[in-house]
Amino acid sequence: MYGTKSKIDLAFEYQSQVAVLRPSIHSRRANLTVKFQDLYGFTVEGNVDDVNVLNEVREKVRQQGRVWWALEASKGANWYLQTTIGQGSALTSSLKFSAMANAITLKKLIRKGIPPVLRPKIWFSLSGAAKKKSTVPDSYYDDLTKAVEGKVTPATRQIDHDLPRTFPGHPWLDTPEGHAALRRVLVAYSFRDSDVGYCQGLNYVAALLLLVMKTEEDAFWMLAVLLENVLVNDCYTNNLSGCHVEQRVFKDLLSKKCPRIATHLEALEFDVSLVTTEWFLCLFSKSLPSETALRVWDVIFYEGAKVIFNVALAIFKMKENELVLTHHVGEVINILQMTTHHLFDPDDLLTVAFDKIGSMTTNTISKQRKKQEPEVMKELDQRIRRLNSLRMEDK
Amino acid sequence: MATIGHNNLNAKLVGPSSLFSISFCFFFLSQSFSIPMMFSPCSFHQVLLGDMGAGKSSLVLRFVKGQFLEFQESTIGAAFFSQTLAVNDATVKFEIWDTAGQERYHSLAPMYYRGAAAAIIVYDITSSDSFTRAKKWVQELQKQGNPNMVMALAGNKADLEDKRKVTAEEARVYAEENGLFFMETSAKTASNVNDIFYEIAKRLPRAQPAQNPAGMVLVDRPAEGTRAASCCS
Repeated sequence: MYGTKSKIDLAFEYQSQVAVLRPSIHSRRANLTVKFQDLYGFTVEGNVDDVNVLNEVREKVRQQGRVWWALEASKGANWYLQTTIGQGSALTSSLKFSAMANAITLKKLIRKGIPPVLRPKIWFSLSGAAKKKSTVPDSYYDDLTKAVEGKVTPATRQIDHDLPRTFPGHPWLDTPEGHAALRRVLVAYSFRDSDVGYCQGLNYVAALLLLVMKTEEDAFWMLAVLLENVLVNDCYTNNLSGCHVEQRVFKDLLSKKCPRIATHLEALEFDVSLVTTEWFLCLFSKSLPSETALRVWDVIFYEGAKVIFNVALAIFKMKENELVLTHHVGEVINILQMTTHHLFDPDDLLTVAFDKIGSMTTNTISKQRKKQEPEVMKELDQRIRRLNSLRMEDK
Repeated sequence: MATIGHNNLNAKLVGPSSLFSISFCFFFLSQSFSIPMMFSPCSFHQVLLGDMGAGKSSLVLRFVKGQFLEFQESTIGAAFFSQTLAVNDATVKFEIWDTAGQERYHSLAPMYYRGAAAAIIVYDITSSDSFTRAKKWVQELQKQGNPNMVMALAGNKADLEDKRKVTAEEARVYAEENGLFFMETSAKTASNVNDIFYEIAKRLPRAQPAQNPAGMVLVDRPAEGTRAASCCS
């Protein structure tokens, strides 16, 4: 896909993609709500200030693009793949140093955002999707989609039900062609991993992957690497146990990182999972503007699932002063939803996520998960037993 | 006018406020009309439960915003809405949790129905499976929900008469036997949507009397096309 285009072609294609938004003269005069399409075809509603923020963001994206092109020119097209340090002693110290330097540069660059045109290629390489795909025959995806064509399962029925309900109104996703592509990806994955099958939420994730990756097959492998390598196990399986674990870990982290908020929300008897469950299951694809969500995904695919915690904590942190003044559950939800829907500047969010929240290693999160897992399993088990006893009584 | 259901019912929608604080509405109106509105509605936590695709989100959207979308985005986890009703001499504010219907989300449900004062269990009249699922929800709420919970059974998609699989009689008998009240609704045509919420409001513990003059409509629901003109839209 990329081999046929020169860097200059890509650069031009990229420049033309990042359009400047121009609200009408009337909306510029008054602080009215304006509607416009973002880079990925979603209709965004905001006021003129939001449009100005988006234009500034797009200018930053253009500048970032130039940095990436310059690095490609000086270090070679796939320089970002030379970031792992091998175990062999044969590796010279200068090579080790250059790999380490590349890794540091790459981490910084990715946090500042991957240019939209480079996203498919970089995600595919850095996430491990390319490696995963290379372990099976080239025809794997085609064979799988052909093999499952026409098969009806509970998962396929649910997928069919959700196709028109996935980003309705989107100019491509909400067309017969878009529905068919999304269906093939979701059905194929439901057969690849029958433990997951189909879980609502994956429709939004897969849809956004399709928009970014451009090809169904690449979107399929990105979905596979996400569920099998990046995210916690059992996040989407039949009782969402992994999701329950993540929610408990998040509550724990909120108490540690944002104690004022946690204490206040506890006093209101507000369980943050009421809001954050959707963030974790849809990876912010339903709550953040798409361009912001994808900036978060840039980092997730390189640094892992810990990033979801950083970002979720950052959303609370950004509104700390407002949240601690709330008196009702409704107010809390309003603040969080208004915040997420209008987070048009990804840098604002990611700066808080990585600079103000403080570092969290994957190791720390893993330890927390291990601590919470037995408790969650015990609770879910008790719940199943209670429900079964209800049904026995009924008979 | 925003009267709910039949004209003889003295119930009015105070303000569509999904995801927005209604306080601005009252401030705006009291400024405009110089009417003091020292007013604190009774808040009630309500939950909607039911099978995937039964029309839970469509019911809430019709009630709160007066809208119907042919394809409503699938709910992940749950969605929150609020709406205020004036019922006779009292004001009731519903804080509504609209839950995800897929079976695997069942494990999240207690988080939403814990402490709920009311529940609407929704099924689709064209799907007997969804009615079976509704019965399971009723059973669970009876055993594990708030003992004083007001429960309603809604047979949704009543406009699809030609595809009906669950008779109204069967559902009515089941509801009576289990202490629920029952209505067939259509989010699409708006039939009985406001009525079911009004019936719940009537059955809840007595709300505080509204401070505004009796019978005054705080916010009329504008016609579909003029929605944006409302201060709370």
